[in-house]
Amino acid sequence: MRTLARLALAGLLASAGRAATDDVREAWQLVADHLGRDAYVRLDQLPGPATRERTFAQAVVAIDYQPVTQSRLQSSGATLAELARGDDELAAGAAYLQARLYQVHFQEHDYARAAELYEALARRQPHSHWAQLGLVKLALLRLYAPPEPAAPADRIAAAAELRSRLEEPALVRDLELQLGRAAAFYSLPPDTALPHLLAADHIGGLVGQANEELIVMIGELSLRAGHYAQSRTYFERYLREFTYNMRQVTVRRRLEDLATLEAQARKARP
Amino acid sequence: MSLLRRQPGLLLLAVAFVASCYWVFTRSTPIVAQRPVTIRLAHWQIERGPPEGIAAAIRRYEELNPRVKVEQQLIPGPIYRQWLRSNLAGDNGPDIIEWGAWVEGHRDLPARYFAPITAELAKPNPYNRGTSQEHIPWEKTFHDGLIGPKRDSPDPGQIYAVTLTETTVRLYVNATLLRAITGSDAAPRTFDDLRRIFALTRRYAARTGQHVSALAGSRDNGRTLAETVFAGPLLGLDQRLDDDGYLYLYNRKVLAAYLAGRWNYHHPNVTAGLTLVREVAQAMKPGFLQLRRDDAMLEFFRGEALALFYGTWDATTLRQMVPFEMLIMKLPAVTPDDPEVGRYVSGPLGEGQGETSVALYLNKTTAHREEVIDFLRFLTSVPGNQLFTDHSLWLPAINGVKVPEAIKGFRDYSVGYAFGQAPYDALGSNVGMVWDRDFYHLTGDQGSVEQFAAALDRDMPVAIRADLKEDVRNTLLLVKPQDTVIIGQANLAAASSDGEKYRRRQAEVETSQTMSEGILYQTRRALDAAKERGVQPR
Repeated sequence: MRTLARLALAGLLASAGRAATDDVREAWQLVADHLGRDAYVRLDQLPGPATRERTFAQAVVAIDYQPVTQSRLQSSGATLAELARGDDELAAGAAYLQARLYQVHFQEHDYARAAELYEALARRQPHSHWAQLGLVKLALLRLYAPPEPAAPADRIAAAAELRSRLEEPALVRDLELQLGRAAAFYSLPPDTALPHLLAADHIGGLVGQANEELIVMIGELSLRAGHYAQSRTYFERYLREFTYNMRQVTVRRRLEDLATLEAQARKARP
Repeated sequence: MSLLRRQPGLLLLAVAFVASCYWVFTRSTPIVAQRPVTIRLAHWQIERGPPEGIAAAIRRYEELNPRVKVEQQLIPGPIYRQWLRSNLAGDNGPDIIEWGAWVEGHRDLPARYFAPITAELAKPNPYNRGTSQEHIPWEKTFHDGLIGPKRDSPDPGQIYAVTLTETTVRLYVNATLLRAITGSDAAPRTFDDLRRIFALTRRYAARTGQHVSALAGSRDNGRTLAETVFAGPLLGLDQRLDDDGYLYLYNRKVLAAYLAGRWNYHHPNVTAGLTLVREVAQAMKPGFLQLRRDDAMLEFFRGEALALFYGTWDATTLRQMVPFEMLIMKLPAVTPDDPEVGRYVSGPLGEGQGETSVALYLNKTTAHREEVIDFLRFLTSVPGNQLFTDHSLWLPAINGVKVPEAIKGFRDYSVGYAFGQAPYDALGSNVGMVWDRDFYHLTGDQGSVEQFAAALDRDMPVAIRADLKEDVRNTLLLVKPQDTVIIGQANLAAASSDGEKYRRRQAEVETSQTMSEGILYQTRRALDAAKERGVQPR
């Protein structure tokens, strides 16, 4: 009889746990659908003691609960710092989000503090996705944020150092793309940007406008750097892959320019 | 009682009155049963054409789907912004909403209130069964592959809207007046031909004493025309400002280049463009900037203007209302052989390959998501879009729809270069306001290109800074909520049987967020650098 009662209690607890997990899952679905406000309300109405996942979910949705207030962000930050003390994936997510608060969410950004938190996370749980993503965000800070002065080439070198610590191909690609775009932004020679852009293209997987801009950018910067064959490859690929585009005529014109430059180069050859 | 017995009509009336009172006070629904689902579509296209076109598609859809009623809400443009914002904020927004990225103060709406329909667009549209578009993914059935919704998406990689039509700009000409002024009804082939027509119109007006301008003028169509002619000489400058090699110049890049001192309104290419703007402004009646589109149309209808330059979205209205024979022509592009500004023009400006428009977005809080998507599928199917096109005489957005003879010419696009978003008059809302405020320096006998350029270079630095700061704020508005979405997707991926779907989505949002942040930091650095330099061109 006692065994039966124990089994019934265990079943009851398990189903209650499942229900709680399902409720949090529903909240995650709302968050993923940009319905943070609804997720906030749903989590707030859940009965029973707060689980670690539920506390995390509450801290996450509070970040984007409109209107955003600094006190709510501070409170979320404190919860995330507490959750980040663990060593599981949830702790890594909390630590990542804590750094994001300093990088973009607080009214006064604190880039130095964000960088510290990304570094700490990458040391503590280097293989976690959140640590890896944090390294890409850290690269952005190294590329553009204070401290000043820093020569553009030094900024790019400092950000490029992080590449060896990245293991996920998509994040390596995103970092390479940012390195290439930063080199162009700082007006460094095309040959500084091109290796990064080419690396991003070789990894692949970009969609939409980002991919379109990458292909045309490699074509144009290659032309400017005198890598005519590479330029032709990318411009022709652009016309093939993006059949409907505002740049069609411009790219065709650049291919004509390229033909002239190639002919001149052939003539100049001894 | 005996009165009622003697007057049965009175009795009947009393019974009907009591029954009506009972119905009115106890029920709010009509006597005839409503359909179980009502979806509302709100848009501002209240010109002649689109309401009729959409209504025709709705009628057919309701025949096919007896459960669903579709209501078309026609909201005039001047109040659309406030109307939409307050309805969305009050959770009372329509199910389908027209939105455009250029609508000032509305950049945050897609991220806040609209839902992506990327997954649905990847599958064939069932209403295309038996047509040339059968088996083709819905997204690929659009004439331009949905360039606009992809470009304007808050999450690159996600598509939030479908489009209904395709528009461009044309010159609508009073044929009778054209013959009287020029002796023929030949269309101008070059911009210099147009210049000659402007001069002939002035002479005609002086000779006959009639009040006739070459172009009907208002702030709306004047701005569109100014942008079109201004952009030609700017091509060469655009190319020089394109450090990234995108072969396309975003507004923020042009603004940042101004703050970096790389161009100003006295730059030769820019003054060449301003010269053209002055020429077309002088062809309109004085004070046209104070007038609106309807005023320009009335001027044209009254025969007080030879031509009206505006979008093909007004073609149906014009066709139905003009009391004279009307010709529709392309505005000739400014080319390198132009005698006035040709040396600053590096090639003809193109109209692109046509971009579809009237983007319809899905309200993410709709109670009828499935029905809304089903209706959008019908509206943008070959049969649905054919109904819209036939009844509106607006171009279709969908491949395989037959274009009526009357509007075939609208698809004949000028081939040439396209290098940027807006020419340098409307790069942001503050820049646009300064342009309008100082415009009087350009026109009239007292005005000149030099005076206008001086006024702009005096006033623009502050406006440009304000617009760039706004750009940073808007980008942050998109970036911040993506953090919670990314975490949400990751947790769903870990907890779901179809985790791969969420993982892919998470990776896409991560990439687009990093891209947006990179742009945000670049804009901030441009602002900081200008602050350090204390840039004040001229």
